[in-house]
Amino acid sequence: MTAGSGRPKAGLADRDGFLAWVMLLPSVVYIIALVGVPFLLAIAFAFSDVTTGDPSFDFVGFGNFAEVFDDGVFWRSLRNTLFFTLVSMVLIVVFGKILANILVADFHGKWFVRFLVLLPWTTPVALSTVSWLWFLDSIFSPVDWVLRNLGLIDANVVWLGRPGTAMASVIAVQVWRLTPLAAVIVMAGLVAIPRDINEAARIDGAGFWRRMFEVTIPLTLPVIAVAGLFGAIMTFTDMTVPYVLTRGGPTHATDVLASWAYFRGIEGGDVGQGAAIALFLFPLLFAGAIAILRAVRRLEAR
Amino acid sequence: MADRFSTPRGGTTPHTPRTDSVGLSRRGFLSSTALAAGAYGVLAGCASETSGPQAKNAGNAPKEVFTSPAKKLGGSLSILMWSHFVPRHDKWFDKFVADWGKKVGVDVRVDHINTVDVPRRAASEIQAGRGHDLIQHIAPFSQYEPSVLDLSDLVQEANRRWGQQLELCRKSSYNPNTRRFYCYCPGWSPDPGDFRKSMWADVGMPNGPTTWDDLLRGAAEIKKRTGVPCGIGLSPETDSNMAARALLWSFGGAVQDENEKVVLNSDATVAAVEYMARLFKDAETSEVFSWTPASNNQALIAGKSSYILNSISAWRTAMGTNRKIGDDIFFVPALRGPKAALAAQHVIQQWIVPKYAGNADAAKEFLLHYTANFPAVTFHSELYDLPGWPSLVPQLHGWLDNDPWGAKPANKLSLLKTATSWSANIGYPGPSNPAIGEIFNTNVLPTMFGRAARGQTSPRQAVAEAEGRANAIFKNWRSRGLVGG
Repeated sequence: MTAGSGRPKAGLADRDGFLAWVMLLPSVVYIIALVGVPFLLAIAFAFSDVTTGDPSFDFVGFGNFAEVFDDGVFWRSLRNTLFFTLVSMVLIVVFGKILANILVADFHGKWFVRFLVLLPWTTPVALSTVSWLWFLDSIFSPVDWVLRNLGLIDANVVWLGRPGTAMASVIAVQVWRLTPLAAVIVMAGLVAIPRDINEAARIDGAGFWRRMFEVTIPLTLPVIAVAGLFGAIMTFTDMTVPYVLTRGGPTHATDVLASWAYFRGIEGGDVGQGAAIALFLFPLLFAGAIAILRAVRRLEAR
Repeated sequence: MADRFSTPRGGTTPHTPRTDSVGLSRRGFLSSTALAAGAYGVLAGCASETSGPQAKNAGNAPKEVFTSPAKKLGGSLSILMWSHFVPRHDKWFDKFVADWGKKVGVDVRVDHINTVDVPRRAASEIQAGRGHDLIQHIAPFSQYEPSVLDLSDLVQEANRRWGQQLELCRKSSYNPNTRRFYCYCPGWSPDPGDFRKSMWADVGMPNGPTTWDDLLRGAAEIKKRTGVPCGIGLSPETDSNMAARALLWSFGGAVQDENEKVVLNSDATVAAVEYMARLFKDAETSEVFSWTPASNNQALIAGKSSYILNSISAWRTAMGTNRKIGDDIFFVPALRGPKAALAAQHVIQQWIVPKYAGNADAAKEFLLHYTANFPAVTFHSELYDLPGWPSLVPQLHGWLDNDPWGAKPANKLSLLKTATSWSANIGYPGPSNPAIGEIFNTNVLPTMFGRAARGQTSPRQAVAEAEGRANAIFKNWRSRGLVGG
């Protein structure tokens, strides 16, 4: 009996590279089928005259883009998208950080508070936004009812009927929805900070705010950046909240690129122009994705 | 192909509906899926009823008729349609269609979904080249013309059997440029003014307004006295779009002319926009900018609105839930403006047969059977659906004079006897083409009226902006050969 004959022959299951691919394959197939193919389709549609009623493909060059750029509502939607995203991102990060600090503290009933905090994130967005539609109703709003009974307002605010309050409402609901995600991400960063660093700072006489700005925030900055970028991308591409709450109104004050693409492409029937509008999201999303990946890599390097 | 329908194999026989139902589990599944996926739609019904009034005498229901198909049918037939605002209609319809399927040997399946989900579902089925054999929607579906069967033969047969089709139904289903009936339109619903009698009586107009000037004076006075505003919507939704067209036409304006040329930018349109700005300032509040299609119904029923433009569904809802309020809601025909008294149709039935349909013969035969039974459609929809071929429902005027569902007074709906004279299709005075559909669905007109009412721009500038959008949309569809001009 030779030494070699006693060793079992290495099979496919013993090859790390093969196993890695097998494990990754479902995700790769999923991403190609549900992200890659629709994305390529959207590019093709943007250069075509496809409509909801006529799937036949005729190449029209940059015609759809030219017509979209001539449309004032498109530029209004682009401005709204940037404003909606920027303000939401800042608020999501600030509230996410505050919430994360609360969630890592020790107190009775912590699990219940964590459950409640995560609820907005786990509820289907369409359902939760419908609830908000009722909360902000022009006639039957419970929010207005409370404010009226507290003597803070005389008549209903009509949150969704004025351009300013409508945009504020859309942002508020988006922030309410995404803050739990940011909080969980930041919380993971907070618990990873060694306790002795904080204790050393405390012994050296650093107060809460000093420890917050000179220890906690610098150490969790990459994680906060990831939370912010996730919030930004998820807001930038979202149409559910504006669509359900205001359908882009009043007078397009809350239309965002995603909702305007839907209105033009599906409800209006011009799939080509809808795709051209939707494609405009891509360069910014691409930059956002690269920023997220870089931040994650920097985090891994530490 | 018209001959296919002209030689029925059997006579017309009375038919009693069966009590079994079809596809309830599927329907339940679709309902719950639609709730989760298209949440906006939950609120989008124009006041879908939860419990409607009861008929004074169940025996009033018209007898159903059955005409044997011109040729032997078989296989299966799948139908996608809206969940009717009057649930009683769907209950009746599901039995009706199942019975027909058994008689003719066709396995029929009906999927009811929320009306706002129908366009996106139809779009995905047309793009995929597979799906339901027959699709029904309640707003113009003209953009699907390249992918659906020409139903000219069906309309010709219907005209032969039941006389001339209503002009507004014809204009909502026929493309004069391609000379094709891209859909079949057997029914429609009018869009009268709904008002609270008690409020209008207090300002000396117990019968409600008859002109747009009356509306401005009366509604402003009601708001001044009671704080209750008028409810003409300026929001990106269906009812606001309907109201915008009624106002525009009554002042002599229009989006297009008979030949499908854009004529929106006119003094008449500017006058209509100026009027809307005055109405908003004197008689409305910002809430009309935030409304969903159900909001004006809710406001009228809650006593938070003195006047709205809508179908009879808000009132039927009130009859079922609070009789006192229902009895205080009355109707007026289209308000008269400087040039006309016109309102847009509220619902227009659009049945399409996609080219991929596997059983087009059964789809067409069913549509004839459905149309032949329009008295039952009108009755079970609580007079919501009116016939596209008026000769089909000779009982209609009797029902409108003496409501089978217990209106007080019994002739509350008698104004609808003249509804065809004050109602028009969405593209009036032209056809309901895809450009008109896109202008409707992207809310060009409510935005035009709303921007001026808000003071964001002058009425003339608002009209010029809307004209720019309308021209771009028309140019786009014209290049596809679907719009004339």
